[in-house]
Amino acid sequence: MPVKVESFDSLDGAARALSAARSARFLGGGTLLMRAVNDGDQSFDTLVRAVDPASRQVRSEGDGVTIGAGVTMAEVVAHRDLSFLAPVARVVGGPAVRNMATVGGNLFASSPYGDFTAALLALGARLELVGQGGRGIEIDEFLRDRERYVGSIVRTISVPRPRDPGAFRFAKVSRIKPKGIALLTIAAYLPQSAGRIRGARVAYSSMGPRPLRATAVERALDGQYLDAATIEQAAAVACDGIEPHTDGLASAWYRREVAAVHLKRLLTGERR
Amino acid sequence: MIEFRKDYFADERDDDLNEIGKPTQRQDALGHVTGRSPYFDDHLFDGLLHIRCVRSPHHHARVRRVDISEAERMPGVVRIVLGKDVPHNLNTLLSLLDFGLDDEPLISDKKVSYKGEPVAAVIAESERQARDAVAKVRVDWEELPAVLDVEDAIKPGAPVVNEVYPGNRFVYHGKYDHQKLRFGDVEAAFAKADRVIEGRYQMSPIEQAPTETCGAIAAPETNDRYVVYTSTQALFFSLDTTSKLLKVPSNRLHFIGGTVGGGFGGKVDSLHEPMAVLGTMLTGRPCKYTFDRAEEMQVGAPRGAERWYLKDGVMNDGRIVARKFIGYFDSGAYTRLSSYAIIKGVGHLPGPYTIPNVYADVYCVFTNRTPATAMRGFGITGVDFAIESHMDKIAHELGIDPIEFRIINAYRDGDMKAHRRLAKNTALIECCHVAAEKAGWSLSPAARQASSLRDGGGARAEIPHTVTDEHGRVEGYTAGSYAQKKRPGGSRPQGTSGPAGPVAAQRDSIAVTPSASSPSFDAPPRPAPQPAASSPPRPAAVSQPERPAEQRRVTRFSSISGLRRR
Repeated sequence: MPVKVESFDSLDGAARALSAARSARFLGGGTLLMRAVNDGDQSFDTLVRAVDPASRQVRSEGDGVTIGAGVTMAEVVAHRDLSFLAPVARVVGGPAVRNMATVGGNLFASSPYGDFTAALLALGARLELVGQGGRGIEIDEFLRDRERYVGSIVRTISVPRPRDPGAFRFAKVSRIKPKGIALLTIAAYLPQSAGRIRGARVAYSSMGPRPLRATAVERALDGQYLDAATIEQAAAVACDGIEPHTDGLASAWYRREVAAVHLKRLLTGERR
Repeated sequence: MIEFRKDYFADERDDDLNEIGKPTQRQDALGHVTGRSPYFDDHLFDGLLHIRCVRSPHHHARVRRVDISEAERMPGVVRIVLGKDVPHNLNTLLSLLDFGLDDEPLISDKKVSYKGEPVAAVIAESERQARDAVAKVRVDWEELPAVLDVEDAIKPGAPVVNEVYPGNRFVYHGKYDHQKLRFGDVEAAFAKADRVIEGRYQMSPIEQAPTETCGAIAAPETNDRYVVYTSTQALFFSLDTTSKLLKVPSNRLHFIGGTVGGGFGGKVDSLHEPMAVLGTMLTGRPCKYTFDRAEEMQVGAPRGAERWYLKDGVMNDGRIVARKFIGYFDSGAYTRLSSYAIIKGVGHLPGPYTIPNVYADVYCVFTNRTPATAMRGFGITGVDFAIESHMDKIAHELGIDPIEFRIINAYRDGDMKAHRRLAKNTALIECCHVAAEKAGWSLSPAARQASSLRDGGGARAEIPHTVTDEHGRVEGYTAGSYAQKKRPGGSRPQGTSGPAGPVAAQRDSIAVTPSASSPSFDAPPRPAPQPAASSPPRPAAVSQPERPAEQRRVTRFSSISGLRRR
């Protein structure tokens, strides 16, 4: 069963081909899909790709940035309008992977991948899907039921730019540096007004099958000063409502034990 | 950066050597840094076929039926190989060194005992076609209860992992279900010790993780020979194993090794060369068989897990007067090299210390995990972790500086080791001095003045009165030797026929043969734990010529054990 590759000039054409065949997969950067091809994955026999230049554009508009889903991690690192996301893109894979891996592909990557998506989740990004107009959907909604979107193609990702660059924090915890995959990733957006946190968004990746919000932590932070007492309270509920999994990198028990430690370090600004 | 401490043992050295003690460049360094080192996979053959295995998704299962009808019709499939196609489908690696029973098929046809064990091999025009056909092979599995822990595996009633060793324990020297070390009398010493301190230490398996996965390419050569390019770390080991499994004289095999793309012990198991040659024999075309990364991790044999229980009798002044080990090596489903690792490890006990009473029972246990094999210092590394962790624990409990505690107990030149060799060129004390100096760790004057050249020997050179026992004695095995079969005066015991077991028909040359006529020893002091309650019946009596008891005891054991006669 040889694998067919179908190329399209536009994302719309690719989307039509993708919805027509259940055994087709959309090729973003290929860092996960080509591995599956090499492993002889029997679940698909067609790769659909688009060479649409629009999908590789970054547009700064108003108080946000709209990123084409085909923008690579290396392009994120290099783009001057995305400097707040550069530290996130820089820890995805090694140089070869960053050169191919796309922002759109990361949205569909299952654990232990998806560090970039955790950052997008903390920042409250919106996604525009091909074939669906309007304002698109919130990333929360997309992640909540990600399997439903497997046959969809993401056109763009709109990310609000943090007004205070220091309000966005990100930590990827891996055993092998600098290229190891994450046993836990934390992204936190903590905007402050009059010294108090307003509208905290804290997201984990690799603490479940997909990136998710740490709502208990957000509640502990909201309306508080970011002081030692608040941080203690947030760390105490680091895993409330979260059921981490066991994989080859770490057991569920280990993840639960260390999540609070890493959250605390992130909130205190302690660098490790 | 190498620092030579030539102030130590200066009078033992002439320093007139050209290579030893001098930095030298690896001979393959230039090829590696210029990207020109040739690996096995760099050899291209026209019409190369690719081999992929159908593997067990279960830890333990009976193979009811392998249905290849659909797979055979897949595009590009040239041949599907089953266990019955392997001329001598049972082997143990160390049979080449006259050690252990054949226990592992190249392609399993009755039962699988670890996840990833092959039950069929597809040969196809492309790797992708081979993978697609593998997905179409239908195996009817009957899942069996699996045992994944060494101590669970030797409990009565545990599932039998390896039918050749129904007690899930390797049989040492045809006599015991474990390797013994007895030196002095530990129980008497424990009774006199100020403190008895115990510990349990567990090491997990470690994958060698070579950059180049294991593999081999075989091709027909002139004069009815086969040429094999391989990543093996043990070229002649692989050649002889191929010769045995395929019943091909070794002079028809032309093995070419070369650059190993990372090995670390993980490329000695010789699984790929016989499969590649078999593919070439069956198709007449060049065949490549190589692990992908997932197989390298799941199926490629790791350093095995080890569990150690240590019990030390110590005096308040820091002297260790007795040390007892109970060790379990997790060999996985088959023997591979763990049996040998234990021989090596037991020779190392009780570590680089002089302890007057030492006892060890070390078990090579079969579990439904990936078979374990060699990796850098295997047999020693794990137990050294246990020993040194335990040394720290004792030093802490006695309130003695951990380095001084090691110096107090360090072996010195002229001391008798537990394996009954005199220690020489011991330098542990000097290593402690340098380590303390480098770490800025202060030592007492007495510890600083200690020397491995002084205070050894004398009473410390004597072999103490040693208490022995027969526990763990197994019956039904005799030590034989096919390595000696053809020597003159062959009146020594040797395996002439296999056991009446499920594998009997396939075993035509074995090192240790179950036999009903083995010499009877005194009854063991404790009930022998083998065979386990659920074990299949002991191999029935086989026709074995009666021999005088005297001759039966005179048995040579493998040279790797360092034992000549017993």
